[in-house]
Amino acid sequence: MMYELVIIGGGPAGIAAGVYAARKKMKTLLIADSFGGQSLVSAGIENWIGTKMITGYELGKNLEEHLRHFQKDIDIWDGNLVSRVEKIDGGFRLTTNKNQMADTKTVLVCSGSRRRRLGVPGEDRLDGKGLAWCSICDAPFFKDKVVAVIGGGNAGLEAVIDLKPYANKIYIIQRSDKLRGDPVTQEKVLAMPNLTVIYNALTQEILGDNFVSGIRYKDAISGEEKTLEVGGVFVEVGSLPNIDFIKDLVKIDDYGQIVTDARTQKTSLEGIWAAGDVTDVLYKQNNISVGDAIRGVLNVFDYLHKK
Amino acid sequence: MKKVVIYTTPTCVYCKMTKDYFDKNGVTYEEHNVQEDLRARQEMVDKSHQLGVPVIEIDGEIFVGFDRSSLAKALGIQ
Repeated sequence: MMYELVIIGGGPAGIAAGVYAARKKMKTLLIADSFGGQSLVSAGIENWIGTKMITGYELGKNLEEHLRHFQKDIDIWDGNLVSRVEKIDGGFRLTTNKNQMADTKTVLVCSGSRRRRLGVPGEDRLDGKGLAWCSICDAPFFKDKVVAVIGGGNAGLEAVIDLKPYANKIYIIQRSDKLRGDPVTQEKVLAMPNLTVIYNALTQEILGDNFVSGIRYKDAISGEEKTLEVGGVFVEVGSLPNIDFIKDLVKIDDYGQIVTDARTQKTSLEGIWAAGDVTDVLYKQNNISVGDAIRGVLNVFDYLHKK
Repeated sequence: MKKVVIYTTPTCVYCKMTKDYFDKNGVTYEEHNVQEDLRARQEMVDKSHQLGVPVIEIDGEIFVGFDRSSLAKALGIQ
């Protein structure tokens, strides 16, 4: 059996594509590890259009529910990660981490991205021992502690807000000379009395024996190395596209993103489309991912029906 | 039936996902909220040697985070 389309991913892009593909009655399979995408860990999303405020968990639930509403018109393999895509006669063969296989005429890659690590000494050794990745999950452990959030983008600012009810002092360690998150969130964060932003600070090492005791950073202007005593570190330094299973088939840019045609979402290889954070799209946003994925799936539909 | 214990915080998304997974597969479990229960928090740290939730204990075996495939293996879920 050969699918017409396999959609890879269960974030906003994958679900949008799934809903459209099902309604078009394309013979489609959606493969996803879980539903919701990277916003899953957000305490409150205030820019998901049509909803004033929603938690990441609720967004994930809603997306899954919307997709499953069409489940008689789309196959869904959840709890599965695609590990390989091969070119076969007339299409592609996909293999998952559970060794399930599917053949398909076309593929839409919506695999999103994952968290970037700092890549400094101490990071692996102290992971979970005061160095944390999920502020909404683990903030309560940092009650009455001094905490550093590394990264001044939206995710870093959100981590500060998650920590606010618990930590008694928060530092933002930002590598450039300004914060990058949305102004509305910046205002909220900068108004906090127990917050200090350290600009032009390049993190060099996470310090601690059995538990985080501080960080060492370099002042990018003076070159001076400094140590800051903290009892916890949250890392929010951007993301890396999930391309391992597809990187030998399609063109990838210098940032590890799949190069796509902005009019159609086509990749460099005929039969493969991509949308959302895994691509070289200019802005990584839930709302943009949804639109791009829909553009992609409609273009797949045209492609299949012109043949 | 295996004894399953989960250590959680109320806001933790991966804790909710783990509990959803247990519910869907008919797994009964004992839950400890380590934001409130400091004794359970200490117990969790002693067992897992780290500070991150969820921590899941299945018949004495410790799992950190929601890793569906290792939980499935430990619980014999297909």
